[in-house]
Amino acid sequence: MGAELRLMAPVNEPVQPDDRLLVETIRGGDADAFEQLVRRKTSRVYALCYRIIGNAEDAKDIAQLVFIKLWENLHKYDTAYAFDTWLYRMVTNVAIDFIRNRQSRENAVNSSLRLVKTTADAEQGVAVQRKEIETVFDHVSSVLSPKQKTIFVMKEMEDLPSSEIAKVLGCRESTVRNHLFNARKLMQAQLEKRYPEYAQLWRGRS
Amino acid sequence: MTCDRFRSRFAPSTDDAGLLAHARACESCLAVAIERDPDMLFRSLGGAELIPPGGIDLFVDDVMREVRLRTTETTMAPRPVSWTRRLAIAATIALGIVGGAAIYQYERATGTAPMIVHRVALRPVTFDSRPAVEAYDSLNATIVEVPTEGVEDVRMVMVFDDTLPADL
Repeated sequence: MGAELRLMAPVNEPVQPDDRLLVETIRGGDADAFEQLVRRKTSRVYALCYRIIGNAEDAKDIAQLVFIKLWENLHKYDTAYAFDTWLYRMVTNVAIDFIRNRQSRENAVNSSLRLVKTTADAEQGVAVQRKEIETVFDHVSSVLSPKQKTIFVMKEMEDLPSSEIAKVLGCRESTVRNHLFNARKLMQAQLEKRYPEYAQLWRGRS
Repeated sequence: MTCDRFRSRFAPSTDDAGLLAHARACESCLAVAIERDPDMLFRSLGGAELIPPGGIDLFVDDVMREVRLRTTETTMAPRPVSWTRRLAIAATIALGIVGGAAIYQYERATGTAPMIVHRVALRPVTFDSRPAVEAYDSLNATIVEVPTEGVEDVRMVMVFDDTLPADL
């Protein structure tokens, strides 16, 4: 979580072709259209990868892998469905696979990590607060399963409704809610154990 | 959105994009939001689109380079041979073998075939030996024993007898 994050400033974008139309153009062999699609989706795909994986460089690699897989599998996309749902499914599959592989390599390290304030934290403002909350989240979410974390991120940070998350993951809405409930419970326990000051804040909802 | 407007409108579990965006951007309003809705603690991390390290241009360039590389590899990869083409190749090989055999037979029949060295297989030959004379008893025979030079030397005995067959 040490990498610097920059927020993307909102810009007035010109009217762009619909995602489905763009996909049809790409299927016709237009590589420039694919570049346009990558440029359009990079920020969201990278953000989701980063929030699930928790490491800037790994998230970048995974996001790039997602786009390469997208290029190779674009013929499988059914334009009757929302493109973002299909794209998110690809992102979550690749990210979850990555976390599982990483977990098997590292075998749950970071169990004794504690937030350490750095010189960068001397700055004031939202950026510092976000950074600190990010670090807390990184630590307490390490106890979640890849699927629990993915659902938590999509619900709480990507603001996706449970119904949409269920579509992305190909499961029932009740399963999503169940995972979310368990994720909160586990994170609450971790907060109380490692960050009691934050546990006080978060207790109300869990 | 002003902070006053945010504080008057914010309610727990809100899905209002404007309210969430403000809470994620304003430190003091985020504190208020967390007080009212503890979930805002981690919800504050979301929303903003993030830029990968190195920037979007570099990211997109990397992706497109890899895509073009893979496209080139796919184009240059050997294409699968169709069954008709495979059949044609097999027929050509068979024709070559039959033709070669026919030419060989023709040249052999007309005597112009090149000299062929036959390989002779060596087979072990077992000799079934038995004595030519199984019973011998004679008073006219002269027996001469050749003296040996050593203990292991072969003992040679010569029998002279006119009554024995001449071709023995």
